[in-house]
Amino acid sequence: MKNFLQAIKKYFVDLGTAIVKGDIWTKLSLVIFGAGYIGHGQVIKGLLVTALEAGIILFTGKISWPYIAKLDSLGTVQREMVLDPVTFQKVENDYDNSLLILLMGVLGIIIIAAFVFFLISNVKSNYRIQKLKEEGKHVNSFLEDLKSLVNEKFHITLLTLPSIGVIFMCILPIVFMICIAFTNYDAAHQPPSNLFTWVGMKNFINMFSSKGGGSYGYTFARLLTWTLIWAALATFTTYIGGILLALLINHENTKLKKLWRSLFVITISIPQFVTLLLISKMFSNFGIINGILSNIGVTGALQKMGWITTDYIPFMTQKGWTHVMIVLINIWIGVPYQMLSATGILLNIPSEQLESARIDGANKWQIFWKITMPYVLFITGPSLVTSFIGNINNFNVIYLLTGDYVTADASLAASNAKDVDLLITWLFRITADSPKMEYYMASVIGIFVFVVCAVLSLITFSNMIKGDREEVFR
Amino acid sequence: MKKKLVAVLMTAAMAATLAACGTEPETENTPADTNVTVAPDGETTDVVVGQGSEDAIANLIAATEGTVDLTLWCSETEAYQNVMAQLVDEFKAAYSDVDFNITIGSQSESTCKDEVLKDVEAAADVYVFADDQLNGLVEAGALQAVTTTYTYNPIEADGAGAVNAASKDGILYAYPLTATNGYFLYYDSNLLSDEDVSSWENLVAACEREGKKVAMEFSGGWYLFSFFYGAGLECNNLANDAVNVCNWNNETGLAVAKSVQDICSSDAVINLGDADTCTQVTDGNVIAAVNGTWNTGVFEAAYGDGFAATKLPTFNVNGQAVQQGSFAGYKLVGVNSYSDNLGWAMIFAEFITNEASQLKIGNATQEGPANLVAAPQIATPAIAALGAQSNFATLQRVAGNYWTPAGTLGQALYEGGLDDAGLQKALDDAVDGICAE
Repeated sequence: MKNFLQAIKKYFVDLGTAIVKGDIWTKLSLVIFGAGYIGHGQVIKGLLVTALEAGIILFTGKISWPYIAKLDSLGTVQREMVLDPVTFQKVENDYDNSLLILLMGVLGIIIIAAFVFFLISNVKSNYRIQKLKEEGKHVNSFLEDLKSLVNEKFHITLLTLPSIGVIFMCILPIVFMICIAFTNYDAAHQPPSNLFTWVGMKNFINMFSSKGGGSYGYTFARLLTWTLIWAALATFTTYIGGILLALLINHENTKLKKLWRSLFVITISIPQFVTLLLISKMFSNFGIINGILSNIGVTGALQKMGWITTDYIPFMTQKGWTHVMIVLINIWIGVPYQMLSATGILLNIPSEQLESARIDGANKWQIFWKITMPYVLFITGPSLVTSFIGNINNFNVIYLLTGDYVTADASLAASNAKDVDLLITWLFRITADSPKMEYYMASVIGIFVFVVCAVLSLITFSNMIKGDREEVFR
Repeated sequence: MKKKLVAVLMTAAMAATLAACGTEPETENTPADTNVTVAPDGETTDVVVGQGSEDAIANLIAATEGTVDLTLWCSETEAYQNVMAQLVDEFKAAYSDVDFNITIGSQSESTCKDEVLKDVEAAADVYVFADDQLNGLVEAGALQAVTTTYTYNPIEADGAGAVNAASKDGILYAYPLTATNGYFLYYDSNLLSDEDVSSWENLVAACEREGKKVAMEFSGGWYLFSFFYGAGLECNNLANDAVNVCNWNNETGLAVAKSVQDICSSDAVINLGDADTCTQVTDGNVIAAVNGTWNTGVFEAAYGDGFAATKLPTFNVNGQAVQQGSFAGYKLVGVNSYSDNLGWAMIFAEFITNEASQLKIGNATQEGPANLVAAPQIATPAIAALGAQSNFATLQRVAGNYWTPAGTLGQALYEGGLDDAGLQKALDDAVDGICAE
């Protein structure tokens, strides 16, 4: 933290020094970026930099500024179109497109920020060259600069494209989508025909209160709880299941090891869309499983015991039953993955440890709990965290299995959620499945899912690498 | 009727498994659909027909350069795809001076609006959709108003109910195509008499007698509506598009809920979704079901010479027999107002909805045409039943908040066991959800 503050301080002190101590060329480069380079003999570089500056200014003035100027209202002119019935010509007014204004506005601001950053580095760079010259040292020619890009400055060459990619592919969309959370963008405010606008913190307030716009507060609390329970259960069960299965298959007495392994891999090689939808049909109220259970009398027995009131077992249509079923089905889907990675790890356990334990008289149970398990846990720790996060966002299993589920909870229904929804499937239901298409609420949920995932990852990862634990297994 | 993404994926992924059931969709027809009892939002302003239509089309042909690209979205069913391909060929032949490149895409009418609104500018030029999506599409500016037509006048040619369904605030926004989007009762007349299917009480008793079942999707808002509407209660968004008005939680509503719960308390009554209905009907467990024309084939095959269809039964409210209501619906053809070839899109939409085309579509799909001349020429028991039910039907005009709370209410009534206070609370909760802003 201290280093970080010092770095910031140095950054601005350097800038101040460059401006104060710079000669006329360096100072001029504040306005005309290439001036310093040209004045100090690097003409081509100077021209290129000036051209870039002109490009950015032109882009901002001609293209992005009209959008940035409308960012505060996100547009005011609604689209109107008249069709001339005789000529079939459409006459449109000069309407505002809120979505485009937001997107181009954000892009424009990012580019302006980059421009400022560029300006500061440019002045400093000019000052460095000025000093080199004053001290009588060698100033690179343009060719030498180019050559340095493939030699000592090769990292710049390598990282330029990815950095630009990150800005356009990651930062821009993320900022854009966070912005949506502060608007009223939904089915009734859909560009290009309609405008949407800023609503401040309203959506966040709705999300955490039980009044107004349905019962989001209640739903959020319920679904967050279930999401965390689900993620813990799903991660734990598949993890333990996978390791046990791998141990079983690796056991010296197991025959046909490769065959077993391949059989389990088949379950994950078939697309989940197919298996999960098929499974949900098999377990439906009148599906094949219910048919069999009813024929052999299990359904009747459960009825007598008072477990069910229906004449089928509501595997996928009643809460409780469905919660359990989802976890069980997920074991079937998830165990083979863990089995594969555990197999690799088990083969790599240092054999000297196992041997010395055996010589010391440890039994198999002790070896498993004292050596195998801690070793596996250490190796797979990071992937355990990843799979926990993955389960928080495990859309497929939940969504594909619960298509027939109808919630009996009116408060959940009012906000388009089901008891078995994760935050992520709820997000999908209130946009793609609901006629209201509440994109703004989806964005709010998205932000909170991100916060939950980020906090959990940070805590667990920093705990995992604490102390000397990496040394223990060396 | 809301269709889930799952259903689409299901169909795609496992077409073979579900072959018996077709897809679930949206269409119904009634030859005499003029009785649809919706509060009309006024007369539809007459469209200007053929305002120099010859000249306009001639001008359009003259002004057209190069290939005209058009995309049409219609139902993914084989019957629809085939008949539309045939109509496209006829259209090309009719305007042979122009070079067309017309693509037919698969898009179920029931979810058309969602697809169109994802990106209006990228959506099809001409699309077929269910009439309940009209308001949403108009609001999003995705429909070109039909203020002028060039080859025929839909307001005169099509049934008044269909025209009303295709209009908003007195302006026609789409070309009516079929009039078959509703539900009625299928039954096996070898096992059930006319008397048996006249009321829910008789029907339940008869099914208990036969040891068989009667099916309806109680946990779906689309079907549950029928009981409350039948008893004269209202639930619609006519006053304000975004917000529903609903009075299901008054005294009559309580009586209706009690009645529905009573009906469901019998073991002979089961709550089945569309796909399960098909399976159970085919298995012979279900001898009567509330369903629509899209499954006619399934029922016909299962019931054989006992195949019959009729209006929905009456049910008992406070000791009086009340006729069960229903939603009536239409398939409409809309022109995307963002189309690059708006003129040709309009002419094409007119072409596929004119009398001759509607008759061809009716013959191919067994759906009743909206066209008044074509409609009587397509007659099946299912369409006749829908015609009888249409006297008690209303247009589907509900805002998005209706569906999930109504489904949950239906689920609660089906599960049963609620006393008066419990029912009242379930109704109050449902109405709160339905009427939420």
